Order: sequence, then C-alpha cells, then structure tokens
Amino acid sequence: MEEQQIQNFVHRVSTNEELHEELTRDPDDVILREGFSPKVAQIVARLVPHLALDEPISSESPWWH
Amino acid sequence: MDNVIQPLENPFAAQQQMLKERLNFLLTAVHPAMYADVVRAFQEEGKLLYQSPPGVISPRTTRPAGTWSLLTLLVAQHISPDIDPIYASSVAVAVESFCAALDFLDDVEDEDQTAIMQELGTARLLNVTTVLLTQAQQALLSLSELGVDPAHILRLLKTLQESALGITSGQHRDLLAEQQSVLDFTLEECIDIAAVKAGAILQLACRLGAQCAGADEALCGQFAEFGLLLGIAAQLDNDYHDLYHLLQDVIPSILPGDAGATPGSEKSDLIRGKKTLPIVLAAAEIAKTRGMTAMSLDDALQKISELSDEERNEYLRALKEGMLATWGICLLYLERARDRLQEFESLRPVSPALRILTGLE
Repeated sequence: MEEQQIQNFVHRVSTNEELHEELTRDPDDVILREGFSPKVAQIVARLVPHLALDEPISSESPWWH
Repeated sequence: MDNVIQPLENPFAAQQQMLKERLNFLLTAVHPAMYADVVRAFQEEGKLLYQSPPGVISPRTTRPAGTWSLLTLLVAQHISPDIDPIYASSVAVAVESFCAALDFLDDVEDEDQTAIMQELGTARLLNVTTVLLTQAQQALLSLSELGVDPAHILRLLKTLQESALGITSGQHRDLLAEQQSVLDFTLEECIDIAAVKAGAILQLACRLGAQCAGADEALCGQFAEFGLLLGIAAQLDNDYHDLYHLLQDVIPSILPGDAGATPGSEKSDLIRGKKTLPIVLAAAEIAKTRGMTAMSLDDALQKISELSDEERNEYLRALKEGMLATWGICLLYLERARDRLQEFESLRPVSPALRILTGLE
C-alpha cells in the first residue's frame, strides 16, 4: 500500500538519525534504494527538503477545500 | 520596458456567468421573506455569488466562486462540448445548492462561529439550509421545462439522493468518532472518513457532470472516481493545514510563517476531537514514545511552554511527522487523480479551466 509506504518512510527518517543524515547527503541514493514506485519516489522527493533539511512546512493556503 | 502588472484573466468567467444566471432564475421561487438570507448564503467564500476582495486576482491561489458547480459544469462540457448551457447549468446549480447546504450543516454541527453563523444565527441558517437542499432537487426537476426525458431526470435525482444518504452517514461517522479515543483509529480509517466526506462530495459533482452530458456508466464511474480521489486529497490538505495553523497559534516561533493565520472564530479539529490523519498519526507516535494517552495531546499543546525541552521536541517531532506524512499521502491522491485526468486527455483534450480548477495543471 503506497499510503503506508509514505507514512513508514516519513516515520523512519523522523526517528532514525542515520537515515536522516543519509537523506540529507544523498537523497537520490536513499530513494532509489527504498525501491519505491515512480509515483511514490516523486512524492518522497518533494518531501525531502522538509524531512531532511528541516525546511519549514508549507504555509500555503489550502489548495482545495 | 512595460512594468505595468496586468491583472490575471479569470478562466472561469464565462461559466460563472452562466451559473449565476441559472441560479438567479431558480432563486425567483424563494419567498421574499427569506430571499436575502438565501442570497447571503451563496455569497460565502467559494460559493457562487462570492465577490473576491479587490486585489485578489489569482484563480490559482484563490478558491473560485462556485467551485462545486464549476466542477460539474466543466466535466459536462468536457464530455459534451456542445451541451445546452441552461441544461448543464441547472444540474451544476443543483450541485452548488446541495454542497452549500452540507457545508452549512457541517458548520452548525461543529459549532463553528463563521461570519454567516454570527450574522444569521443557527435557526435562520438551518432554515436556509432546508431551502438549499430543496432547491437542489428543484433545479433538477426544472429540467422537465427544458424537455429533458423524465427517465433521465429521475436518474439524476437518484444519484443526488443516494449521495445525500452516503455523505450524511459519513458525517455521522465523523461525529461519532469524536467520542472515541484517537488511538483507536488507523491510517486506513482516516482515509475512509476523508472518502465519505469531501471525497463523496466531489464524487457527486463529477458524476452528475458526466451523467448530464450523457456519458455511459463506465465513463460516469471513471469521473466519479476522479472526483473521489480529488476529494480525499482536498480533505487531507485541509486536515494538514488545520493542524499547521493551530501549531502556529500555539507555538509561532517554531513554525515560521504568517502567525495567527487561523480564523479565530473557528475551532480546530484537535479541539473538536476530530480524527484527522495528522492528529491520529501524531497521537499514535506520542503514545508510543511517551506512553501517555493521546487524549492529552490537546492539553499538552496548550501547555507546551511549560514542558521541558526534551518533551517539547518530542511532541513537535511527532506532530511534524504526522503533518508531513499526511501531506505526502495528499500528494499521492492528487497524483492518482492526475492519472485519471491523463486517461480522459487521451480521449479528448481537457480544458485549461478544468485543469486550473482541480489544481492539476
């Protein structure tokens, strides 16, 4: 289940310092190694700046409500 | 060099005009005693008679007036570009009235002190809601005056009624969930709640658009699924932003941005006890690491300045994790909706207006 894959990956990066650092250094390598589908890989790549580099979470207005 | 900033063109102007004309015609049946209140309801943000404040011009960052009815109309026009505009607008206005009614009922049930609630009060707003629900059916029944086959009108009414039952049951599940522990919920259940709420609403908007354009069952099903995916993404986006704004209010120094962006009159999902995905994920993580009941998550946030650095960081990490996972899953549903749109595109070009409206440019 792709939903679970995303949740698990976010959790692991959030709790595993080693993985967090690895994602900061070489996000492409980590994403490739995880064996995600192209769709999940693309989404995870969008999350990387917030997951690994601790960029502030987006404050943009909700896109659709 | 020309430095004058040109105002952005409204890509929905023609459709909005069409919809407003049909709405105004249908509103003539409303008794003068309550006409002003019903019109006021359609002037709420995102609804068909909403007037953007001066200077707000981007359709990509501002919710367009008549969002729900635009979706129905644009889907109908995609399938049948030459569709009779009065016919398609009538079906779209039915969707607009129905969705507006559900939106106001949701505000009443959640005791949100929105501008219209403060202005009209609960009793008048509920009465307006009854008119909107009736008007949704009236808009479909008005198709008989356009010579539409009664069997087709019945089919459209049946879709509306089935959807009303499903969405109301979904809303009831959401209300009952407020009484349950957040730790009893899973990722799948949260997505299921999103599906029966916003998912089912956009599903209806898309299905009725396809049905009124004469699409066969298979194509109606594909558009319904497109609406469902879009609606789930919209709900998750909303849930994630709700928690984001709450955190900004509670701990503005930790989440940089436009502090105080939460409309102060509206309660957050956390305070209401809603089981949204970011809250469920954060609570599960906090319960796991701190061994405490997630019932105290709201309390802990309100007292976050009194917590030790270590405790505060643990809370923030769990909340950020919940928000990021929710955002990622929201993007996943958006990408699935994009896949459906590409399938439609392979049969016929999708209009820029439909792409802009759905955020799938």
